[in-house]
Amino acid sequence: MAPQQQPEKRFYEVGRRRHEITLMPDGTEVWRRGRVPLTKRHWLAWRGVSNPKSLRRERRLLDKRPLWWTIGLGGLLVATPFLSDQAINIAAIFCIFSAINVIWTLIIGTAGIFSLATMAVVGMSGYAAAAANVYLGVPWPLMMPVGALVGLVLGGFLALPSTRLDGLYYALLTLGVAEICRVFVSQIKALAPANGSINQVDSFIPADWLLQRPGLLLGFFAAFALLLAALLVFRLINSERLGLLLQAAREDEAFSEATGIDYRRARLWVFVLSSGALGAIGAFYVMFYRSISLAVFSLDQLLLLFAMIVIGGLGRSEGAVIGTAIVVLIDKGMLDLGPLRIIIVTAVMIGVALTAHNGLTGVRAQFRNFRNRKKSERRAARTEKGGEVMPEEATEIADKQQVYYRLFDKRIRDRLKAQITPELIAEHKAKPLGQHSDALDRVLNYFRRGEMPDKYAILRVGEYTSSTYKVLAFSGRPGHPPRVVDDKLYATMDEAYHAVFLLRVNDLLAS
Amino acid sequence: MATQRIYGYADPWSIKAGEQLSFMVSGEGLGAVDAQLVRLIHGDENPDGPGFVEQEVASEIPAQLAVRRQFTQVGAFAVANDPDQRLAAPGDFTIYAFVCSTKPGITRQAMLSKWDITAGKGYALGISPEGRLEFWIGDGEMIDHVAAEIPLVPKAWYFVAASFNAATREARLTQIGVVNRYNSLIGPVVPFDYGSRVVETLRVAPADPGVATPFLWAGASEENDRRGRFVGMLYSGKIDRAGIVGEVLAPDVIEALARSGSMPAGAVIAHWDTTAGYTDSGIGDTIVDVGPHGLHAEGINRPVRGMTGWNWKGRADSFRLDPAQYGGIVFHDDALTDCRWQPNLTVTMPAELRSGVYALRLRSAGAEEYIPFFVRAARPKAPLAVLMSTFTYLAYANEHLAYDALIAQAITAHTPILTEADIAFNKLQEFGLSTYDHHSDGSGCCYSSWRRPILNIRPKHRMSSMGMPWALPADLSLIWWLEHSGLDYEILTDHDLHAEGVDALRPYRTVINCTHPEYYSENMLDATEDYLCAGGRVIYAGGNGYYWVSGLRDGEPHCMEVRKLDAGSRAWQADPGEGYLACTGERSGLWRSRGRAPQKIVGVGFTAEGMDESQPFERMPDSFHRRVAWMFDGIGPQELIGDFGLGLGGAAGIEIDRYDLALGTPPHALLLASSHGHSDNYPLVSEEVTYAFPGRGGTQDPQVRADITYFTTANYGACLSIGSIAWSQALPYKNGDNNVGRFMRNVLDAFLKPGALPGSEFVGDEKLWR
Ligand SMILES: [Fe+2]
Repeated sequence: MAPQQQPEKRFYEVGRRRHEITLMPDGTEVWRRGRVPLTKRHWLAWRGVSNPKSLRRERRLLDKRPLWWTIGLGGLLVATPFLSDQAINIAAIFCIFSAINVIWTLIIGTAGIFSLATMAVVGMSGYAAAAANVYLGVPWPLMMPVGALVGLVLGGFLALPSTRLDGLYYALLTLGVAEICRVFVSQIKALAPANGSINQVDSFIPADWLLQRPGLLLGFFAAFALLLAALLVFRLINSERLGLLLQAAREDEAFSEATGIDYRRARLWVFVLSSGALGAIGAFYVMFYRSISLAVFSLDQLLLLFAMIVIGGLGRSEGAVIGTAIVVLIDKGMLDLGPLRIIIVTAVMIGVALTAHNGLTGVRAQFRNFRNRKKSERRAARTEKGGEVMPEEATEIADKQQVYYRLFDKRIRDRLKAQITPELIAEHKAKPLGQHSDALDRVLNYFRRGEMPDKYAILRVGEYTSSTYKVLAFSGRPGHPPRVVDDKLYATMDEAYHAVFLLRVNDLLAS
Repeated sequence: MATQRIYGYADPWSIKAGEQLSFMVSGEGLGAVDAQLVRLIHGDENPDGPGFVEQEVASEIPAQLAVRRQFTQVGAFAVANDPDQRLAAPGDFTIYAFVCSTKPGITRQAMLSKWDITAGKGYALGISPEGRLEFWIGDGEMIDHVAAEIPLVPKAWYFVAASFNAATREARLTQIGVVNRYNSLIGPVVPFDYGSRVVETLRVAPADPGVATPFLWAGASEENDRRGRFVGMLYSGKIDRAGIVGEVLAPDVIEALARSGSMPAGAVIAHWDTTAGYTDSGIGDTIVDVGPHGLHAEGINRPVRGMTGWNWKGRADSFRLDPAQYGGIVFHDDALTDCRWQPNLTVTMPAELRSGVYALRLRSAGAEEYIPFFVRAARPKAPLAVLMSTFTYLAYANEHLAYDALIAQAITAHTPILTEADIAFNKLQEFGLSTYDHHSDGSGCCYSSWRRPILNIRPKHRMSSMGMPWALPADLSLIWWLEHSGLDYEILTDHDLHAEGVDALRPYRTVINCTHPEYYSENMLDATEDYLCAGGRVIYAGGNGYYWVSGLRDGEPHCMEVRKLDAGSRAWQADPGEGYLACTGERSGLWRSRGRAPQKIVGVGFTAEGMDESQPFERMPDSFHRRVAWMFDGIGPQELIGDFGLGLGGAAGIEIDRYDLALGTPPHALLLASSHGHSDNYPLVSEEVTYAFPGRGGTQDPQVRADITYFTTANYGACLSIGSIAWSQALPYKNGDNNVGRFMRNVLDAFLKPGALPGSEFVGDEKLWR
């Protein structure tokens, strides 16, 4: 039999220059690490390592998100005052919708409750706050607390069925709630003259600044502060005790329940608190526009919001903000395009949904997975099982002697394969122990020196005097017992020795 | 039915009839077990022999023994003796140590702690799961920490310190590399930047975890309902000088401490000088606090002493030369030298009990355990003593070779054979290692103790990697043969010989070794020599004997120490400078390397080992000399001696010893018989290999053989040596009716009689007529 022709191997040169921002501190310097007040968290997640190639000390940013947040939001804050009036308004609207979406993300992502009543809560709280101001004379600084209170109450009501109804049904229910709200408000007689709207609401923006540049700027700065507040709420709920609890619960629900973590209660709490926050945003919304109309309950508004979080990616605050930015830019920034905007938004949403597993923020991880998969496919195509190490694999192996062992092993196996003959197997069968021919000795010695994982052993079944034997394979890990290779029983030890030999010959020839 | 398990041990191992011993038993899945005292006669169940033989013996041991689950604390650590709780919550403080971690990462490890893991209270200096030095504190509500910037490099020495300011809650963590040319795995050419100095303001201050949480070296205190308090977060690696000061030491003071290692000025609470306490004959388990309060720490499970410290400069290769360079104390997270179980039974053995190997047999519906122990004669009466190799039994106790030793199959030349009981026992990982195993960080295990259940001294046990009985179970073949032959004998153990020296042997006319007397202390060698000089007769019937320099600490016979180094068939190799026994102060390794090759005492010494098949002995010309020809009465001139046996089918095999004048075999020793035809799976041992060249296996090297030698000593003394483990295992073949037994009987009949030995008159030169 002619040796199987192997395709010629390609060896690629590997190695890269440093590609990310890296500090090179000195071990003798004192490193004073600051923390975010009232938390154990550091401002930046630096990670110190010794570079495996040079052993130089390096300090790398493990989590670069704070950097992106600062650049993104800081840029917006600095740039906006220099923009046109219209653009300032768009920036403010972006901030408000971002705030809503960030909180919505808490409900869908953290609490895992698929509620579509977001705008219903915002709207009802907005109406309540507006009514309190216009009809009851509540001053504007108290409008946001009023809104939050109404949001909390609404959240409490909406939370009740969330544990009873499963995903889709609950989503439909909450969608219905928005419609009920709209109908309810439109039926209020007092509002009929204004077509269901409440106008002339007091605001933090003085009335005479309305639609003036100072008013627009003040609106933007306030909306920006609202977004920061929403992000803070997100952070507090998502990353502190309640969120961590839910994280643990999501990973292993049964375990969490066994250890007494009240998973359901935690979900409801997140829902109710988020609804309160949405209520406050509702009040802000009213103040920002100095009015509120039934449009707030409209389905198209809700779907636009939905498009935002789908494009950004569910579950992460940066997803909510990025998605909002894209949709707001299209919807409000390209007014000239008219109805085409909706089609563009839809197209973007469908495009993202089709290509990305979890919105734009998930693209990076998705790309890495894709690259890793391609890498292993390529490597698998270029190397045989148990073959030599490719240069790009060698960079991942700390003990370079292992690289040599793999190569040596491959060559010794190739030589030994040629030694396996029926006569050799017969020789072993006749006498498994003791002095053997040179060829059999070499084959056996190779087998005996193998690595511990999956190395064969023999199990003696039953009392010694009446025993039979089975073949085992070691785990190679302390405290992890060997596994039984198959259920075949061998009557004598010699038969078992020979069975192990045949298995090893098989493994050798199969490699 | 729940899985039933019974494990137990006896303490002490060896008693005289009429003395007391205790049995410690742990039972799982059962509340009581049947107990029976038995005399062990034969272990090997091989159908070529008599099979397993035991005799039930009446005693005051109750027929039923109540048992419960007993827990074992695994891992070496040390507990500070702090009656006044000075180490509790020190306000401002600085804690420091020199450390060399062997296994940073994966699990959290505490190096110095007053830390209650369960409550999250106290403080600790340790290593995070990412392998970084970390100082953590907790008040029971919240845990906070400061970590070093870069991970610890394994097997490199550091000075580490953490200080805490109670008023500002500012913590300062300092890590300074102190790698020199000798002390670490890697040297100065490696451009690591080892240092790290991190300052952070923490959110909590440590709360006092209470009296129940001791200050620990190499672990932290933990509690659960079933076990109560125990030690977790075990540390693997070395700790040298350490201390704790009741103030925040200034950075320059800390830097100075890293250079000197000597006690700092200031409000020292404790400064443990790990180099204090060395004597010429070793060191104990106490870590001395030279500070004002004497808060000495006591080592549990024998932290290893006599190890090189942070300031080792390579020139002094023993603590006896410069103790100040030997402050390293090694902790292993899987060390075990004492299970510390409660005794279930303490009994006095009857004064009239015959000397022999006994066991407490414990049985339930689903489990069985034998707890062997050794009974000597209250007053020696028999002419023959059998020396049971209790040092060897300890050395091999609970060996894991089949599971963990990559090369085991290549050495033994066959596939290991396990039983369900072996697998269940190995899975527990609870009863410690043998001196053939490695700790979890890869370093060799130098201590082995009988204060723990030992699977492989059960009489029917077969060693997995070799598929045959080993040590005690194999040695019982000699016991069976003596019983069968009706010879009057008593037993002794290595431990008795070590403790009493030649006095233990003197009452006997002849002493016979068991199959594998490999581990010997200086006392034991001296006693054997003195006995031979005084006219005693020794039958060395074993392989690879008198090999490793081993020792016991005075008053603690349960724990044997050996350091494997430089030469010999060694499962591991001590690190440079760490070859001296902490328990005696002497250099360990091979006796041969210390001028006492076994050939010098008994005529033969280790030459090869193999576990595929054994061979017979063939008579050599000397065996026809009238000085010894009587030993071969009834054996033909070309008759193969022992071409059978329970030890791989021959009397010469497994581990074999040979005659060599160059190694000190007495010049008048006669070479009576030798073996031929060993396979290449019997390679010449490494201590004989100076230059490596091919062809050192049994089929090509003439040094691969087992020899039988004989020489006489002063005062009618004599030494017959049969250099083969398999010899005694050939005795029971064909119910004892075989030529190995015949030979032994011939020798013993003569050896057990006082006065001149047969043939001793044949000292004249041969007349050369033919
Ligand atoms: Fe041995």
